[in-house]
Amino acid sequence: MKKNIRLLLIVGLIVAFVTGLTYFDSFMYHDPVVKIQKVTNLDKSTSTDEYKNTDTQVTQRVSGKLLNSNEKGKTISFKNSYYKSQLIDTKYTVGQQVILTKSGKSYTPKNVKRDTSIVFTLGLVVFLLYCMKFDRRKLFISILINIVIYYGYLQTIIKTHNSVLLPLTVITALLISAVALLVILGPTYPALMAYSSTVISTTVAVLLSSFVLGMSHYSSIHLELNDFELQPYLGVFLSQVIFSVLGVILDETMDISSSLIEMKREVSDVAEKTLFKSGINIGRELIGPLINILLFIVIAENLNVVLLYITNGNSIGYTMNMTLSLGITQLLISAIGIVLTVPVTSFIASKVITRRMK
Amino acid sequence: MLYLFLTFVVLLLAVTGTRGFTLLFGLGINIVSILALLILIADGFNVLVTTGVIAMVILVVAIYMNVDNSNTATTAFKTSLMIMIIILLITVPLEYWASAQGMGVENQDELEAFSLAAGISFPQLAISIIVINSLGVISETSVAITSGLNEIVENKPTMTPTEIFNDGFSVGNKILNTQTNTLLFNFFSSTFPLFFVIHSLGYKFSEILNDKLVVAEILTTLICTIGVILTVPITSYLVYRKANSKTRKLQK
Repeated sequence: MKKNIRLLLIVGLIVAFVTGLTYFDSFMYHDPVVKIQKVTNLDKSTSTDEYKNTDTQVTQRVSGKLLNSNEKGKTISFKNSYYKSQLIDTKYTVGQQVILTKSGKSYTPKNVKRDTSIVFTLGLVVFLLYCMKFDRRKLFISILINIVIYYGYLQTIIKTHNSVLLPLTVITALLISAVALLVILGPTYPALMAYSSTVISTTVAVLLSSFVLGMSHYSSIHLELNDFELQPYLGVFLSQVIFSVLGVILDETMDISSSLIEMKREVSDVAEKTLFKSGINIGRELIGPLINILLFIVIAENLNVVLLYITNGNSIGYTMNMTLSLGITQLLISAIGIVLTVPVTSFIASKVITRRMK
Repeated sequence: MLYLFLTFVVLLLAVTGTRGFTLLFGLGINIVSILALLILIADGFNVLVTTGVIAMVILVVAIYMNVDNSNTATTAFKTSLMIMIIILLITVPLEYWASAQGMGVENQDELEAFSLAAGISFPQLAISIIVINSLGVISETSVAITSGLNEIVENKPTMTPTEIFNDGFSVGNKILNTQTNTLLFNFFSSTFPLFFVIHSLGYKFSEILNDKLVVAEILTTLICTIGVILTVPITSYLVYRKANSKTRKLQK
C-alpha cells in the first residue's frame, strides 16, 4: 500500500511538473506571447440580424506583459472585438496567455495558448489510471503503437496528396485493429477469430452499402460537404466510415467470441449449432448500445454547424439535409456493419471453437 | 439513403427478430430527443440546462430499453448520471480555460455565406458537445460493467468489498481497453481531414498544439476517456453497497 502511494505521488508530481512546464514554455515560441493583466470594455452594441438573432458585439482593450521575444517584460495592448456568441472570435479574460503576431510596432492577437490545458487533461487521465488497479501497460502500449501508425498514415497521405487515400486507410485499419487485438488478447485463436470476423464484417458492410448507394447514384447525399470539403469526396467519406466503425466492431466481436469460449469451457460437448444460436442471442443485446455510441458521436461532431444553419433562417429539413445527411449515411453503414458482425462472428467462432478447442 | 435505411432494417430484423422493433423504436426516440435539443437551443433556451435534461432522457431510453434486468438497469443508470455530472464539472472549467469553442480559421471557407452573430452561446455549446459525445460510451460502459459484476456477485453472495472492487477492475480492464479503442479510432476518423488541411496551411508544431479545432477534438476524446475510467470504481461501489444492504437484511 505504501509503495502505491509513493508511485501515485511520483506520477502526480511528474504530471504537475510537465503541466507547469507548458505554462512557462513561451520562450520556445517563435511568436510573441502575452499574459493578459487588464481588460476594459470600450464599446458594446446590440444588433439584430436579418434572421432575428440578437447578439452583442463587444470591443475590448486588452493589455498585458510580453512573456518572450526581445521585448520581454514590456507591457503592450491591443484591441479585440467579439460577438457574445463567440463562434469564431474569442473573448479574452485576465490571466489568459495569448499568442500574437507582430506587424510593425503593433500587435494583433492570433490564438489563445491552449497547450497547458491539453497537457493538464492528458495528465489527469494518466493520473486517474494510476489511482486504480488497471493494467496500464497494455493500454499504453496499444495506444502508443496506434498513434504512431496514425502518424505514419497522416504523413503518407500528405506526401501522396490524398491520391491513394482509400487503400492507405484500409491498410491502416488492418494494422491498428491487429495491434489492438494482439495487445488485448495476445497471439491466440480468439484474437485470430475476432480479427477475421472484424475484417469480414467491415468489408461486407462497406461493399454492400456502396452497392446500395451506387444503385441510387448517391442521390440526396452531399458527399462534397465533408469537413473542409476535402477531395476525393467518396474516399474521404469511406475512410471516415471505416475508422469510426472499427473500434465498435472490435468491441462487439470480442464480446461475442469470449462469451462463446466461456460457454465451451463450461459445457465441453456443446454442439456447433447451439454455440451459433447463443452467439446470435448475445449479439442481439449488443447492437442497440453500439449504434447509440456512434449516433451520439456523429451528432455531437456536427452540432456547431447544425445550429449555425438553423439560426441562419434555414428550415430543419434543409439543415438536416445539408449538415447531417452525410453523418447519418455514415451511421447507417456502420449500423449495417454492427448488425452483420453478429452472425459473422457467431459463425466463425462456433466453427473454430468446436474444431480447434478441445 | 432510403435504400440504405431499408437494407439496415431488413438486416436488423433478420438477425434480431422481433427485438429489432424495440431497437428501432429506441433509436427513433433518441433521434427525436436530439431534434428537440436542436430546436430548443436554436429558440434561445439555456444550452447547458437543455443539454442536461435531454441527456437524462437519452440515458433513460438507452439504458432501460436495452437492459432487461431491472436491477442492472438501475445501477447502470445511477452510474451514468453521476458520470455525466462529473463530466460537466470537469468540462466547464476546462472549456473556459482552453476556450476551444465554435469553429476555427480552417472553417472560414464554409462560413462565408453565414451571419455569424447567431445569438447562441458557443462556449456553452462546446460543453454540450462533449456531454453528448460521451453519452453512448458511458451508458454502454456502465451497463457492461454492472451486468458483469452483478453476475459475479449473484454467484458468490459472500464476497468482501475488496473482492468486489478487484473483480470490478478485472471486468473493467477489458472494457476500458475496448472503449479507448473506440474513442481513439473515432478521433482518427474525425481528425485526418483536419490534419490534412492544417498541413496545407503550413502550420508549425506549436501552432497545431494550440489550434482551436485540434484542441477541441483532443479534449473531447480525453474527457470521454475520463468518464469511462471513472465508471469502474463508481459501479463497483454501487454494486458493493447493494450487496452489503442485502446481506444486512438477511442477518436481521
